[in-house]
Amino acid sequence: MNTKWVGKRVKRIDGPEKVTGELKYMTDYHFDNMVWGKVLRSEYPHAKINSIDIEPAKNLPGVICVLTHKDIPGFNGFGIVVPDQPVLCSDVVRCTGDAVALVAAETLEIAEQALSLIKVDYEPLEVVADAEYALTDSAPKLHPDGNLHSHVKIKNGNMEKAFEEADIIVENTYYSPRQMHAFIETEGGWGVMDDEGFLTIRCPGQYAYRDRMQIARSLAYNPERIRVISSPIGGAFGGKDEITVQIYLALLALHTNGRPVKIHLSREESVIAGIKRHPFKVQMKTAAKKDGTLLANQVKAIGDTGAYASLGGAVIALAIEHSCGPYKIPNVDLEGFCVYTNNGIAGAFRGFGVNQVCMGIETHMDMIAEKLGIDPIELRKKNVYHQGEVSSVGHIVKSSAGTFKTLETAENCDLWKNRAKYKSEVSEPWKKRGVSVATSFHGIGMGIGLPDYGAASIELLPDGTFLVGVGCEEIGGGNSTAYAQIAAEMLNCDISNISIVQGDTHRTLDSGTVTASRSTYTGGRAVAAAAPRMTELLIQTAAEMLNLDSSQIALRPNHISAHGEIIPYKSIYKYLHDHHQTTRVEGHFYLPKEKEEIKGSGGAPHHLYGYLTHVVMVEVDTLTGETEVLRVVSIPDAGKVINPQGLEGQTEGGAVMGIGYTLYEDILIENGYHKTRNFTDYIIPTIRETPLIETFPVEEPEQSGPFGAKGIGEVVMIPIIAAIMSAIYDATGARIRHLPATPERVFNALKDLKKQKVQSTR
Amino acid sequence: MLVSEIDMITPSSLSECLMLLSKKGRIHRVIAGGTDATVRMKEGKWRPEVWINIKNLNELRYIEESDDCIHIGPLTTHTDIIHSPILQRKADVLVDAAREVGATQMQNMGTIGGNIGTASPAGDTLPALYVLGARLELTSMSNKRTLPIEEFIFGPGRTVLKENEMITKIIIKPQSPNEIGIFQKLGPRKAQSISIVNVAISLTMEQDLKCREGKIAFGSVAPTIIRARKCESMLPLGQLNDELIRNIAKIAWKEVMPITDGRATATYRRDMASALLERGLYRLMRRWNNQ
Repeated sequence: MNTKWVGKRVKRIDGPEKVTGELKYMTDYHFDNMVWGKVLRSEYPHAKINSIDIEPAKNLPGVICVLTHKDIPGFNGFGIVVPDQPVLCSDVVRCTGDAVALVAAETLEIAEQALSLIKVDYEPLEVVADAEYALTDSAPKLHPDGNLHSHVKIKNGNMEKAFEEADIIVENTYYSPRQMHAFIETEGGWGVMDDEGFLTIRCPGQYAYRDRMQIARSLAYNPERIRVISSPIGGAFGGKDEITVQIYLALLALHTNGRPVKIHLSREESVIAGIKRHPFKVQMKTAAKKDGTLLANQVKAIGDTGAYASLGGAVIALAIEHSCGPYKIPNVDLEGFCVYTNNGIAGAFRGFGVNQVCMGIETHMDMIAEKLGIDPIELRKKNVYHQGEVSSVGHIVKSSAGTFKTLETAENCDLWKNRAKYKSEVSEPWKKRGVSVATSFHGIGMGIGLPDYGAASIELLPDGTFLVGVGCEEIGGGNSTAYAQIAAEMLNCDISNISIVQGDTHRTLDSGTVTASRSTYTGGRAVAAAAPRMTELLIQTAAEMLNLDSSQIALRPNHISAHGEIIPYKSIYKYLHDHHQTTRVEGHFYLPKEKEEIKGSGGAPHHLYGYLTHVVMVEVDTLTGETEVLRVVSIPDAGKVINPQGLEGQTEGGAVMGIGYTLYEDILIENGYHKTRNFTDYIIPTIRETPLIETFPVEEPEQSGPFGAKGIGEVVMIPIIAAIMSAIYDATGARIRHLPATPERVFNALKDLKKQKVQSTR
Repeated sequence: MLVSEIDMITPSSLSECLMLLSKKGRIHRVIAGGTDATVRMKEGKWRPEVWINIKNLNELRYIEESDDCIHIGPLTTHTDIIHSPILQRKADVLVDAAREVGATQMQNMGTIGGNIGTASPAGDTLPALYVLGARLELTSMSNKRTLPIEEFIFGPGRTVLKENEMITKIIIKPQSPNEIGIFQKLGPRKAQSISIVNVAISLTMEQDLKCREGKIAFGSVAPTIIRARKCESMLPLGQLNDELIRNIAKIAWKEVMPITDGRATATYRRDMASALLERGLYRLMRRWNNQ
C-alpha cells in the first residue's frame, strides 16, 4: 500500500518538549497554595494493629490533616481484579509497603515530622517470607481464603506415554528476580477539590477511567464529579497500572479546604511501596524425539505475588499460557500458583509472567538441540506453529504468526552467520565469547473474560486542524505519534495538523489500558474507525456549503476541493459552528476474541500474539565472572510497522531492560524487609552496558489491526533473557539458572565447572 | 535537626575557613563537592548545625610539581585529575582510579580531599594514593602537620582529623619513567558503581621484563585500604610472565579479610582480590611489552 505517514520514520511528536525538558510531568507542578501529602508506611512486614494515635501529629504546627482508615467514606480497598489491598490498614499490616495513615502539611518536612509523631501500636506476627512455605499448613494465613491466590492448570494429551516414548528429556529448575520498573518519575501527583465539590486528580497512570472508578469506590463519590488526568508519564512499564497514590490524593483533597495537595514518593519509598515483577520458581521437564520433534512439556510455576493480589492471578495465567513457547507440543501439563507472602507487592510489569517462563523453555530448546546435534534455529523452525496450526495450549492460531520468518531472518543475519569469527575476536586471553538465539511471543490485549475495547475521538478545531483524543496514555512508548500518523494518513493531511490528547477522563473516551501490548493496536484501530467519520463530516459539510452532491467533493491534502474551488477546513469549522453542529466524531472498536476459553487457564488463549527472535553475543570475563552483552539483533514480528523509528525505540529499550533483568537487577527482601533500598544497590544498565542493537522487523500483516499492525511493547524484552543465558553457556560451558547472572553467580558456576572437570578426570 | 534548620557558611579564604573550624559551640561539618555529604544529610546521618561550604575555595584547587613532589590541592576534582597532564605522565594510577569514580557528574563535583576524608573502604582514589606513597598536610589555626595516608585513616569513615583541622594538601611521589601503574575495579556494573573489590598497582620495571619493586593496595576487602606486602615481595622474584603473575595472584586472597554485604560475599571478594591482581598485572605486562 502506498502511504504517506504510516510505515515511515516519523519523528516523535512529543520528542522536542521531552528532550528539551520543556514538558512538565505531573510531579513537576508547584502551586503557591499547595500543601504536601505523605503516607505513613508499616513498620513491620506482618503485624496486628492494636491502636493508632494521631493526636500528637495533628497538634504539630503546620499540619493540616491526619487521616486513618476511619476517614475513608467508602470502600477501604483497591486492586484491579480483587480489591484486597486496604487503602489505609485498620487491623493488620501485611507488608512494609502498607499504608497506615496520611498527612497533609504546609511543607514536606513538617509532613515527614508528623509521620514520626503518629503512634501505631503493633503486635508483630510471623512473617511469610517464601512462596513455597506460604503453601504449607504451618504458614499463617495472610488472607481469609489462605495464601493461594490463584491456581491455573492446562492439560493436553497423554504425558506418561509421551515421556515413555521420548528419546530425550531435559529437566531443570529456574529462579527469576524481583525486578523493579525503575521509571524515572516515581509515583506521585496532586489532587484538588473545587468549591463545588469537583475533584481533579492529576496522577500518572495506565488507565485513567479505571483509576477514577477505584477512587470513586473508596470515596463513595459520583465518578462523574471526578476528573483523572493520567498522561504524560515519566515511565511506567506496568508499574503504574495499579492504583499508586490516586486514592491518597483524593482523600487528602477532601480535607485541605480546596488547596491542591501533592504527593511524590521518594525513590526509597517507591522501592518499598511500588509493585514489582513476580519472582518465580519454574520447574520444567521437556521431552523430544531423536529428530527434534517436541513431544511433551511439564511446567510447575510458583509466583510470589507478595501481600496483595493486584494483577498476580493474571500474571500467572499469562505465564502458563506462554510457558511452552510459540511451539506445537502435543502433550502438556502446565500448572501455575500465585501465592501471597509478606514480600512487598508484585503486579504488572512488561512481559507479565512470560519473561519468567521463557528462560525455561528456550534453555531447554538449546539443551535438546545440543544433545541431538541439531542447529538450534533448525530445531525451533521444526517446532514452531504457523498461522492456522494448533498451539501447545491446544487452540488453533487464527491470527498472523511470524516466528518462522523471524527465525529465518536470524539465520541469515551477520552476527549468526559469522558467529565463529566474532567469537574468536576476544580482546584478552581470559575472556570468552558466546552467541545464542532465543524466540518468544506475547499475547496482545486482554484474555478471555475481560471486555476489551478501544475508542477515539477526532475534533475539527477552529484553525482547521484536528484534535485526536485517545484514552490510552502516552507512557513513553510512542503511541501518540502512531495515532497521529494513522490520523494524518486517513485524513489526508500533514501530521503537523494533528494534535493528540490522551489520558484524561474529561477529554478522552474510555479506550482501556496502556498495558498488554495493546495500545498501538487498539487505540490505532479506534482512530482508524473515527477517521472515515471525520472525512464524511468534512465532505458532507462542504457539499452542504456548496450546494453540491457529496460525490462531487474530493478530499485533498489539508483541504477540500470541488469544482475548482478550495475550501479550507477553517471554513468548514466556521460553518459547522455557526450552524450549531458538532465538529467531533467518535470511533469505537471491539478487540477480536477467541470464543472458547481453555479449561482451567484463567483466560487463555489470546486471539493475537506478537513474536520476536533475539540473537546476542556476550563476552564473559572468566577471571571475575562479569558478562558483557556486546551485540543484540532484535527481530520482531509486529505485523505492519507503523513507525520504524518507534519500533526501534521499543526494541532497543526492551533489549536493555532484558539485559538488566538477566545480569543485574533484583530487589532483595529478607524476612519481609527490603535489603535493596535505592539505585545505589539496585543496578540497572547504563549507556556503558548498552551494546549495539540492530532491529530487523519481519512484517506479517494482521488483518484486524490498523494498517495490519500488532503489538510489540512487551516481547521486545523477553527472548533476550534466555539468549543471554545460553550465550554465557556457549562462551564458558556454565549454565546459570538463577537470575540475575551476577558476576558472583557466573564466577561460582565456572568454579563448579572446574571442580567437576577435576573430578571427572580422576 | 531538620535540613531546613541547618545553616551554611561559605568562607572566602582558607584562613577564614580555619577560623570557622576553630570556633566552638556550634556543631559544624565541612562540605566540598557534596557527593557524599548530601546523601548522608538526606539519610539523616549528617545533620550538623552549620555546613562550612568550601567548594569555592579555589586556593585549594591545584596540581603542581615542585621539589620532586606533586602537590594536589584537596578541592581538586576527579575531573581535574583525569585531565591533568602532570598526573597523566607521573601518576597514571591515580588518573586511572579517578576515571572509575561514580560517573561523570560525580567526577565533576567530587573532590580528592572529600574522597580521602570520607575514608570509605571502597573509596576509589585511596588505593592509588597508597601506592603513590601519599602524604597529607592537615592544617588548623594553630598547627600544621604532615602524615602518611596509612596513618590518617584508621577505620571505615574514621580518620585522625581533628574538629579544627582540614586537609590542605596531598603530596605524592611522582612516578619515574620506568614506573607504570594501573587501577582495577570490579563493581556490579561498569559505570556508577561502588567497588566490590578494587586494586591499585604500581611497578618499577627494569630490563628483560623484570620488576625491581612494586606496590599493591586493595580496597573494599578490609576495614581500610590494605597493602599486599606478600605479593609485593614476590614481584622481583623473576621475569614478569604469565606464570609469575598467576602465582602472585594466588597469594592475594591471603592478604585480604573481606566481609559479606549486599554487593558480594566474602568468599567472592577474596577470589576477586586474586582475579583483579592477575588482570592488572597482565595488563601492565602487556603495556610494558608494547612500550
